[in-house]
Amino acid sequence: MASGMLSTFLKRGAIWGFILVELIFFSIAGEQLSLSDKAFMDLDNMLLLFKQSAPIGIIAIGMTIIMINGNIDLSVGAIFALAAIVLLDSMTWPIFAGLGDWAIPLAWILALLAGVLLGALNGFIVWKTGIDAFIVTLGSMLGYRGLVFIYNGENPTSHLNWTLVDFAEAQWLGLHTATWFLLGATFVIWFIMNRTVHGRNAYAIGNNREAAVNAGIRVGPHMMINFMLIGFLAALSAVVFYSESGSVNPNDGELYELWAITAVVLGGTKLTGGSGSIISTFGGVLAIQLLRKGLGHIGADTETVNLVIGLILIAVLFLDRQLNIKGKEELRV
Amino acid sequence: MTRFTLVATTAVAALAFAGAATAESFKIGITQNNVGVDSYQTTYEKAFIAAAEANADVEAVVLDAGGDVARQIAQMEDLIQQEVDAIIIWPTNGEAVIPAVRKAHKAGIPVIVTNSNIAEAGFPFVKSFSGPDNITQGSRSAEIMCDKFKAMGIENEAKVAHITGQPGYTTAIERAKGFEDRLPEVCPNVTVLDTQPGDWNREKSQKVMEAFLVKYDDIDGVYAGDDNMGVGALNAAKAAGREGIIFVGATNFAVGYEAMERGEYWGSIYQSPVDDAEAALKTALDVLNGMDVPFLNYFDTPKITQDNQSNFTKPVF
Repeated sequence: MASGMLSTFLKRGAIWGFILVELIFFSIAGEQLSLSDKAFMDLDNMLLLFKQSAPIGIIAIGMTIIMINGNIDLSVGAIFALAAIVLLDSMTWPIFAGLGDWAIPLAWILALLAGVLLGALNGFIVWKTGIDAFIVTLGSMLGYRGLVFIYNGENPTSHLNWTLVDFAEAQWLGLHTATWFLLGATFVIWFIMNRTVHGRNAYAIGNNREAAVNAGIRVGPHMMINFMLIGFLAALSAVVFYSESGSVNPNDGELYELWAITAVVLGGTKLTGGSGSIISTFGGVLAIQLLRKGLGHIGADTETVNLVIGLILIAVLFLDRQLNIKGKEELRV
Repeated sequence: MTRFTLVATTAVAALAFAGAATAESFKIGITQNNVGVDSYQTTYEKAFIAAAEANADVEAVVLDAGGDVARQIAQMEDLIQQEVDAIIIWPTNGEAVIPAVRKAHKAGIPVIVTNSNIAEAGFPFVKSFSGPDNITQGSRSAEIMCDKFKAMGIENEAKVAHITGQPGYTTAIERAKGFEDRLPEVCPNVTVLDTQPGDWNREKSQKVMEAFLVKYDDIDGVYAGDDNMGVGALNAAKAAGREGIIFVGATNFAVGYEAMERGEYWGSIYQSPVDDAEAALKTALDVLNGMDVPFLNYFDTPKITQDNQSNFTKPVF
């Protein structure tokens, strides 16, 4: 029993320990290697860290529920790009022309709706066909990305609205707009997972789908709701990010699904489902952005960043497996 | 005497101090588009680092966005936060980076755009653009072609086909404009038979050229918006057994250079990533030293033909 608690503690706490190590390392290495006179732990730099974590972070929070369910969603990057196109393009539609800046909230709603619909389509196919979510979302990843290219070819879709940019760049109580959305999404999903029946069902389904069905949980609709939720969050991530940048390339959001999954796994969520924590995923997101930022701060290449993150991911999975094996052996004895 | 030495040493020390003050080093940050995606960008990065290291006054923070707009914006924010003296940006998306460029501008950090310019809405926040002049490249291609026609004595009856880059791309539009404006000036009797886009793509250009060859019995010259498309057109002509066509391109690629060595391809415009990188760094330094830098600060992209190609090293891309 005690060792089980220890392994849980190690798994849950590992990501925060890792963040601490990163902070210490980059602070010390930054003194020697960085050209900047400012410390790595400078307040402004840390505030930027949260803001820059938002695009992948908001998606990763949604990915956690999907993975606790025992599913995976590979189409989030494509949904991200499609929602961005809906956002930027709808603001230029003639029917909204008379509305002035009131077109902004409408464009937001349309983009979020698009995300929910695309997610619902994923969920519906998973529910009604019983095909593995990996395959379904692999298909929709390619399909949705195809829609992005059909829409505007290789060209970027752009609409720069300074009112929107000013809103997205604003800081309230020191935190950037994007940070508020990241924190808000984290809190809401944390609440759902820990304080509602839906959240408890998510863990139950991931742990043992048969048992969940026998217990009377309607697994199909439950999964569809979760896919709608992640579709919404992928669109929310796009809406927050593109409000500030105003132009989307057709290949934007590529590999975001993998970065989101990386953050979730770094946070200790099991790929097989049934266990995981929203707060730890938040830690995983911060850890990735810290690495990107820190290695840039001390002057390392982009390739180095990817290499280091890859190594750490493998180390985390190995650690996770070792801890789980020990736990099982303990039970047998 | 001792008094004099004291004065002298003080003076020397003061001079040394003054020297140190003027030689204060500049911190320059660069965020690139996508190093490693093609050898032009890879060579550019190497050349930039080499140029920065060769200059004792420069400390460079070299970053790469890996083609990801979000990462490039984050890198811009990081460079602003690190209080670098100037930022050079190779935009991943000419519009999406405008707000980030405005942020740097607001923070009082001069921004230099390199290689491909940002959209006009961002011009007020940019100090200078350093890169190739595509209109001049187009008009130089026209001159190369016209000179060759004159040497062959067909400048009064020659017929030309024109293959452009991807529609909507500034580079494609500017090169086509430069060519179309300049050709009638230097060779007023040469006619342009047809103009079709080849989308920067060798296969697409080959198909376009195949159609041209069927449609027109007499083609004396082909101008393509870059060598990649030019070589595609050359392949179509070779397959159809049509000889004696003068091919002129732009942005000399290795395939174009090799075709020139074989005598199949006449000329192009030499655009070196090394010149591109060095021009960007020099523009940034000129801005920091308070010199008057033109807003569009072009680096030279010379003509290259079979006659003078031995003066140029073979392009790496």
